[in-house]
Amino acid sequence: MIDLLLAVRNLLRNRRRSLATLLALVIGTTSVLFFGGYRKNIEYSMVTAYAREGGHLQVQHQDLFHYGAGDPTRYSITRYRELIESIRRDAVLAPLVTVATPTLQLGGIASNFKDGVSRTVLGFGSVATERNAMRRWNEFGLPMDAEPYALDGAAEDAALIGTGVARVLLLCQALGLQDCPPRVEASQAPPTTATSALDAADAADDILPDDIASLALGAAAPAASNANGSGTRVDLLANSAGGAPNVISLQVLRAERQGFKELDEVFLALQLPTAQRLVYGNQPPQATAVMVQLHHTADVERARKRLQALVREVAPAEPLAVLDFRELNPFFVQTVQMFDTIFGFIFVLIGSIVLFTVGNTMSTAVMERTVEIGTVRALGVRRAGIRRLFMLEGSLLGLVGAGAGVGLALAGAALVNSLGLSWLPPGSGDRLPLLLVVWGETTTLVGTALGLVLIASASAWWPAHRASRLGIVDALRHT
Amino acid sequence: MNVATEPVAALRGVAKSYRLDDIAVPVLAGIDLLVRPGQFTVLLGPSGSGKTTLLNLIGCIDRADAGQVVVAGQDVAALSDDQLADFRARHIGFIFQNFNLLPVLTAYENIEYPMLLAGLPAKKRASRVGKLLQAVGLADRARNRPGQLSGGQRQRVAIARALALKPRLVIADEPTANLDSRTGAEILGLMRHMQRHYGMSFLFSSHDPAVIKAADDTIFLRDGAIRSIRRKPESNAAAPLTDQTEADSRTHEDGPESKRDDKPDAKALNREMAGA
Repeated sequence: MIDLLLAVRNLLRNRRRSLATLLALVIGTTSVLFFGGYRKNIEYSMVTAYAREGGHLQVQHQDLFHYGAGDPTRYSITRYRELIESIRRDAVLAPLVTVATPTLQLGGIASNFKDGVSRTVLGFGSVATERNAMRRWNEFGLPMDAEPYALDGAAEDAALIGTGVARVLLLCQALGLQDCPPRVEASQAPPTTATSALDAADAADDILPDDIASLALGAAAPAASNANGSGTRVDLLANSAGGAPNVISLQVLRAERQGFKELDEVFLALQLPTAQRLVYGNQPPQATAVMVQLHHTADVERARKRLQALVREVAPAEPLAVLDFRELNPFFVQTVQMFDTIFGFIFVLIGSIVLFTVGNTMSTAVMERTVEIGTVRALGVRRAGIRRLFMLEGSLLGLVGAGAGVGLALAGAALVNSLGLSWLPPGSGDRLPLLLVVWGETTTLVGTALGLVLIASASAWWPAHRASRLGIVDALRHT
Repeated sequence: MNVATEPVAALRGVAKSYRLDDIAVPVLAGIDLLVRPGQFTVLLGPSGSGKTTLLNLIGCIDRADAGQVVVAGQDVAALSDDQLADFRARHIGFIFQNFNLLPVLTAYENIEYPMLLAGLPAKKRASRVGKLLQAVGLADRARNRPGQLSGGQRQRVAIARALALKPRLVIADEPTANLDSRTGAEILGLMRHMQRHYGMSFLFSSHDPAVIKAADDTIFLRDGAIRSIRRKPESNAAAPLTDQTEADSRTHEDGPESKRDDKPDAKALNREMAGA
């Protein structure tokens, strides 16, 4: 108790020096926590985006992820409906799961015959109402408003495309996109595809050429769909499961910006039954993945284990794998690792500053109080008592500095979060809220504060040790 | 041996030297000395004669290079650093020339500090600090820090702190050197009074004629060796200050370099010092 009293009063004795040291600690702690909060915001934003678009877990053919990009439908799941039903009924999984829904990924060529342009696309067929439910997921309470999935409640031939696809297919004007870059007149532009050599009368027309139209599936008659006047049409050519080409005409409702340019320029979303008809025709429909979205990201491992068991039960003959969103999105892992590394670097940097600041303060204190050290040693204080006293002072500086730093970080983060700032992540088309997620991040808060307190204590060790080794007579003679 | 009669400190063949760069500078050589219990003993000698070094050795804050130092019946050479710290806390009180109070503690807390180190219970501490503050006349200054006290008041606090655990020996290195003559005399009177009251041994180094005058035993040092020791009869040691300094001038020989001096008044001692 007397040591604590002495430590506190000695720190207050030279207020300016103690304050300067505390400021270094406070600013250091706040900086580390601000960056930690920013890092968490990025992590949570990405998890939210991935969980909304693809769920936390996906059951896929084990080769789809690595080999499926060229021909996804070769790696499909036959018993996907049974699997989804099992998930919804399972006593372990059901309480953890918000949505379990199938998706069919397919490769094809989308064409705007009217303008004579086409491009390869990746088609994603999904159940619109369930995708809409997935978009409402917001475990971390981020101010990221998800637009309703436009295909929910839309016609069977409705489609969404990436803004990049819209741009390449010259649909910017038709879809009312504002930010397409201006292009030279179409008459001056060289033909871009073989289709631009089509008969001029046909190209100017809004309907398919006869030979292609004859391949199209019956339900959505292009002319009839166009008649409603909303959006515009594209035609999607894809390989059927048997290998024969198949084509479907789709009514594009709108173009949506995708996170990455590469995806934005190939993205096409359509209704699952339409996609299945395009690929499987009259054969039993299949899906390339079952997406499983959980209430809580922390349940991923638990859910994965149960899902693996369920997959073995329901589809023992199919070579299926359960992948989590981290495995499906290596960019997420790389981003988190990069921010973790930067966080570690900043912590080491701040820790070094704290180490030298507190060390310097304590060294000066030892020098100034040499006679006092000699006096209390003469009065009967052991060497360990001297060491303890100075260590306690260093630890107190660390404790108060880190504590105040945590307080300042929490207050600063609350202020920044209330400003409603946003930022544009690299490679992304959408602005994200700029938040500092400090409150509730116990591990980061305690880890940072404890780490800096330990560094402060450690930096007091050497001056404290030196003080304890002083000869009493020499210390008493010190001037 | 009876604590009341055994020497509070006994030195035999003690030598001490300090290193100045690579050269050993002898400070004390062949010191044989008995410090009598319950006496007011003063070390005299010119600067560099080894007074402070001798006090440091007896105060157990320094170790001898050779010889034996026995304090309160304990050969201190046998003690480890921690044991020595505990030994000092129990048996030795210190009064410094510059008072050396802890500036962040109040007068009360400074006096209480050795008791806290010794682990005395709070009630006992409070009672003893109160009495000591009363005894040194600073009951109304208990909450003042050293910076708010005069030199004399600080030294009073230092005296009270030195006596806090009722040590057998109080070491005082020139305790009045930083005080004006009037305050110095007050402090000396207080120390004499406390020494008699508590019946402990005081060992001083001093140049102050008043201190020398008040001493029971006087030890003369020169060039690191004891030149003479003058002792008053023990029976008179507890006599009133004014009586014994003037009235009793008989000394006892003690040690090979002791000499008889039938009139050891302060003036004579000063002359001897000046001659040294």
